[in-house]
Amino acid sequence: MYALAHPHAAPGTRFLDGTPVVLLVVLALAAMGTWTAATAGLVPDALARAAGGGAAQGALLATAVAWTATRPGRSAGLPPVGIAVAALGGAAGAAVAPVGAAAYLWAPLWLWRRRAQLEGLGLAKLPGAGLVAAGAALGGLLGLHLTITASLTLGYRVGPPAPLALAPWLAYDVGANVLAAECFFRGALLDRGHRRWPFGAAAALSTGACVARYLLDPLLPGTLEVAAGAAFYIALLSVGNCWLYRQSGSVVPGFVAGVVFFVVYRLLHHVR
Amino acid sequence: MIAALLLVAVTVLVAVVDPRPATPWRHLYLLPAVVAGVRSGVGGGVLAGLGAVLLFGPLVLREIERAGATRAVVDGVVTIAMLVVAGPLTGALAVHARCQRRRYEALLAAQRAVADGAPLPVVLGRLRAVLEYRLGGDALGLVLVEPDGPIVCGAERLDPASLAARVVASGEAVFVPDAGLDSRPRRVLVVPLTTGGVTIGAMALERRADIGRDEREALAGLGAALGLALDNARLAARQRRFGDELERKVGEATARLAEMDRLKSELVALASHELRTPLTAIQGFSELLATRPFAPCEVRRVADIMRAETERLGRIVADFLDIARLERGLPLALRCAPLDPAPVIAGAVDVFRRTRTTHRLELHVDGTLPRIDADADALDRVLKNLISNALKYSPPGTCVRVRARPERGAVAVDVEDEGPGVPADDLPRIFEPYYRSPATARLDRGTGLGLAVVKSLVEAHGGSIRAERAGGRGTRMTFVIPAVS
Repeated sequence: MYALAHPHAAPGTRFLDGTPVVLLVVLALAAMGTWTAATAGLVPDALARAAGGGAAQGALLATAVAWTATRPGRSAGLPPVGIAVAALGGAAGAAVAPVGAAAYLWAPLWLWRRRAQLEGLGLAKLPGAGLVAAGAALGGLLGLHLTITASLTLGYRVGPPAPLALAPWLAYDVGANVLAAECFFRGALLDRGHRRWPFGAAAALSTGACVARYLLDPLLPGTLEVAAGAAFYIALLSVGNCWLYRQSGSVVPGFVAGVVFFVVYRLLHHVR
Repeated sequence: MIAALLLVAVTVLVAVVDPRPATPWRHLYLLPAVVAGVRSGVGGGVLAGLGAVLLFGPLVLREIERAGATRAVVDGVVTIAMLVVAGPLTGALAVHARCQRRRYEALLAAQRAVADGAPLPVVLGRLRAVLEYRLGGDALGLVLVEPDGPIVCGAERLDPASLAARVVASGEAVFVPDAGLDSRPRRVLVVPLTTGGVTIGAMALERRADIGRDEREALAGLGAALGLALDNARLAARQRRFGDELERKVGEATARLAEMDRLKSELVALASHELRTPLTAIQGFSELLATRPFAPCEVRRVADIMRAETERLGRIVADFLDIARLERGLPLALRCAPLDPAPVIAGAVDVFRRTRTTHRLELHVDGTLPRIDADADALDRVLKNLISNALKYSPPGTCVRVRARPERGAVAVDVEDEGPGVPADDLPRIFEPYYRSPATARLDRGTGLGLAVVKSLVEAHGGSIRAERAGGRGTRMTFVIPAVS
């Protein structure tokens, strides 16, 4: 038993220890530089959007990797530059051509190959099928509710998926959007918070940050009702995913919930 | 499951009967939220509350889209807010009440576990099992500080730098949100076990789930209650040990007294016989002398016999007097003065050489003996007693050797015979008063006081005496008396 048989040394780490500040600054500068160049007409707008999105997703993933690899008592051994490059590469590929969106899958592959070093993400030992199914059910339920509510109130309608149009978005959700959200807000932020505070407080922090991330997303339509709806569903999804992470110790069930939710969300067509 | 069914039932009812935001049926949504909160705690309450919001919310949103912020919409929004709050609140209250009940049950179970007076390690083991079950920990350990080292339950040992050791030393509870060893957070709480303001141990609880502030405070209180219970158990265990020890000692003393009583009874019979034998001889020979004419040489022989019997009588009486003094705790009366022991030893040996011709009696004096501070009469009694015993318990024709030598600032005297020897089991007891070895008691009668008096006399001179087997055969008695410095 730890409290009796092991010498105790206070970890002494601060909340933001291990943050790859230099990398984050470089990513921010790159995004700002590209945006400035696009404003001046030097580069296409699509490239600027790709750089901004890739930098944001890359920053979340890089921070998640850095935090996960620097647990107390464990030496950091995994430079987060690789995942940031993978995220930027995915965004760049998607900007070049719809087929290029397949490059988004580079990031999950990068993480999967290094899963043994990323203990906090819980990829090394996959959770039980029950929790994965619970994640799929949560995402499906929320997505279904969203489609019903949106079609009843906001003039949206649910259309059949156009595979070619849906595929890039699916790649984006799998390789960037949901992946970055689950790795950072659950695998890194919730985990760090939960190691210091009660689960409720850590989940509130994780959910608040997650909602803020989506409200700041330039891809979100800028109307009030959409923002309120997004905040509502993202909050529910985030709370559910926090619970799944606590139960499973893995980001996989939350990832499944997020992917299912966003796939259903992509079926909505704004017709008003 | 019940809450989910209730949610569906209420939704169907509202959808069929009155699908408006202000329908009075909307209040029924509180039912699944409260049921889930009571049954499954905060998590269940949150889930049921959010489920109710998800199911009821579209009615309100549609009304907002249709008519804006009407009174019905406000009613619906207030209902949604109540549903969001009611589930978690009910769950939190239910969990709080459940925790309180669990703590009381834990305390009761703990008191039962320590109440039956089992040994402390057993009590601690039981207590640990009870508390681990009742408090819902992933691991629970107990430490109880005892004078001969801590009793540890839940681990092999207590590390001096561990949290529990620190709590025992400081008397302050420690909470560590994460031990940092697992892939998931592991809370560690260690509270002191106290009694009368003194820390007597520690209780450590490790859990992967949260240990909230309320629970930490409650566990600190539980630690105080457990400390008191364990202290009582410890006192009871000590009292029981003391009682057992006392019972054993009383038993031993009683057996010893019974043995002494038996020996003294034997002694009375023996003493009568021992005193009567020389008296009979003296009486008989004196009557002969008084009534019959004897030749002078015959008179001398009879007189010698009478003198020997008188001396024997005197020795017996002296032994009784000495042992009586010792039993009253009085010192033996000695008149010590510096003297050369060699003539005293030679005189004692010479007396027996003249009177006991059945054995060979050898005297060896190694070198010059140093002077000793001794009572000459007492030394003579010691020597004669030992030589007399050696002669008595060895067959005729054998040799009795008396050897005196200087030994590290003292004089050592060995009296060695070639008899059957004292059995090894009896050697430690032959200097006890009234004790007679069963093996030698058959050979000759005696009071069992001689060696006890000899030992007392030697020790009164600051010396020591020991008995041992002489090689493969016979007994060697060795006494040592310090020389005059």
